[in-house]
Amino acid sequence: MGIKIKRHSIIEMVEHWTVALSGIMLLFTGIGELPLYKRYYFILNIPGLGWAGDYFKHLKLHYIFAMVFLAGVIFHIIYHGLRKDKGLLPKRGDTGKSFRVLLAMFGIGKEPPSEKYLPEQKIAYIGMGLIILVLTLTGVFKVFKNLPYVYVPPPLNGMNTLIHTLSAFLFLLALIIHVGVFIFKVNWPLLKSMLTGKIDSAYVKERHGLWYEKLKKEGEVHE
Amino acid sequence: MNLTRRNFLKIAGAAAVSGKIFSHGTVDATTGRYATIIDLTRCDGCKEEPISRCVKACRNYNKDRFPKPIKDIKPYWPHKFYEDWSKKRDVISTLTPYNWIFIQRIQIKRKKEIFIPRRCMHCDNPPCVSLCPFGALSKEQYGNTVISDKLCFGGAKCRDVCPWHIPQRQAGVGLYLKIMPEYAGGGVMYKCDLCKDRIAEDKVPMCVIACEERLNDSKAMFFGERQVIYKMAEERARNEGLYIYGDKQNSGTSTLYLSAIPFEFIEAQLKLKRDKFQMAEQIQNPLDEPHNLAKYFLISAFASAFAGIVGALCTGKKKANGNKDKKA
Repeated sequence: MGIKIKRHSIIEMVEHWTVALSGIMLLFTGIGELPLYKRYYFILNIPGLGWAGDYFKHLKLHYIFAMVFLAGVIFHIIYHGLRKDKGLLPKRGDTGKSFRVLLAMFGIGKEPPSEKYLPEQKIAYIGMGLIILVLTLTGVFKVFKNLPYVYVPPPLNGMNTLIHTLSAFLFLLALIIHVGVFIFKVNWPLLKSMLTGKIDSAYVKERHGLWYEKLKKEGEVHE
Repeated sequence: MNLTRRNFLKIAGAAAVSGKIFSHGTVDATTGRYATIIDLTRCDGCKEEPISRCVKACRNYNKDRFPKPIKDIKPYWPHKFYEDWSKKRDVISTLTPYNWIFIQRIQIKRKKEIFIPRRCMHCDNPPCVSLCPFGALSKEQYGNTVISDKLCFGGAKCRDVCPWHIPQRQAGVGLYLKIMPEYAGGGVMYKCDLCKDRIAEDKVPMCVIACEERLNDSKAMFFGERQVIYKMAEERARNEGLYIYGDKQNSGTSTLYLSAIPFEFIEAQLKLKRDKFQMAEQIQNPLDEPHNLAKYFLISAFASAFAGIVGALCTGKKKANGNKDKKA
């Protein structure tokens, strides 16, 4: 066990959990907008979910969580954009390194040293970011077109709705993968760091070698 | 781009222009061009004929668009049923995927009946269109709502959210068959679309034509420009002491019923009959509440943008100071 190193600020943790939790609720209420909970009626028998067959309750909740989600997305873009934070943006060679990291999780080969974020985290960030951006834009458009005094040409409306629904499925898939990586014990400290903001220096040295070297140069850690 | 006052005005101007394109500047664009009057003081249900003229005309005109389901239809798992009207195509006493208008009957006095042609009301702000997750429903500029049989997945959500439960489902047909037919979807929803191809060519829907052919000047159905139709209904209601249904229900529709007896009475009779197709006098549009929430999206967006700027300014300074300290 080494010393604890700060990996995430409180702002970053609040951002992450705001988007994550509201996103999960958006998925739940969004799926509730599909005619699924009534069909799979046993869901309605789960204690506390008797209301889940009501489309309008889902819609109201979907709107409320969408406001939270939107706030998280806008804050993220503006805050990190202005600060010029680039740690999560992929660099040349990260795609190849991602495969090596993934293979190493299955015990194949050696994991390359990483920066503060694993190369596969950076690729996932871009993927997840794009899906979230599409969902947000099409979602805001849906709120706009639902207003009673707004007329949207039917093909545009239909296309937007379809893109929103399909990208929601991609979001669900991305979320499953994102959470799924914590099956591997090697990733557990990363989850803990998103809850506490801190990460063990020994773990950083072993897995985030490039970041460790940088921290050493900056005098944040000592051998 | 720096957000100067000039830039802000440019963006606001562009937003205003795009808003004008979408809203068309008037409420007419959203309410649609046409409307219909169904006059219950004149409709006699064509009771001397084997099939009401409007029903017959609708069925004839749309027969090529009726569903042609596969033979081996699977139930909607985990349920054991599926909705199949293909063996009951001749049913005209209710709405089905093969019958998009029907005549509802109510006994008023011993020997007096009211005949109510029932079909889609073509709402001004239709919940079915707003809430279809596949974008299979559309509100057209003519005021009619249309279901695309190519996109419909048959989840029947439109029927659930419709205050009158108008769309009807046929299993064994449509897009869902190509995905997971046993586990998701259930066919295609069908309903009146006001003869969409005809009205797009400035022609009158077939039900209205059929009614006129039989009753001539005393016809029970009128179709035309919405403003004219609304004005006609209001004038007749005022001059003849009639009641209107459809102008306020569900925040307004393109179908106005005229009746000599109050619609509360009709509503009560239909409730008494436990009819599948009710006619509630008080119907609030279920989308009103979400609409009221919409403004908070703007607040959420501006507040988070402001917080982002302030946060970046505060922590950015710290970051810069930290770097300076290290350099020193």
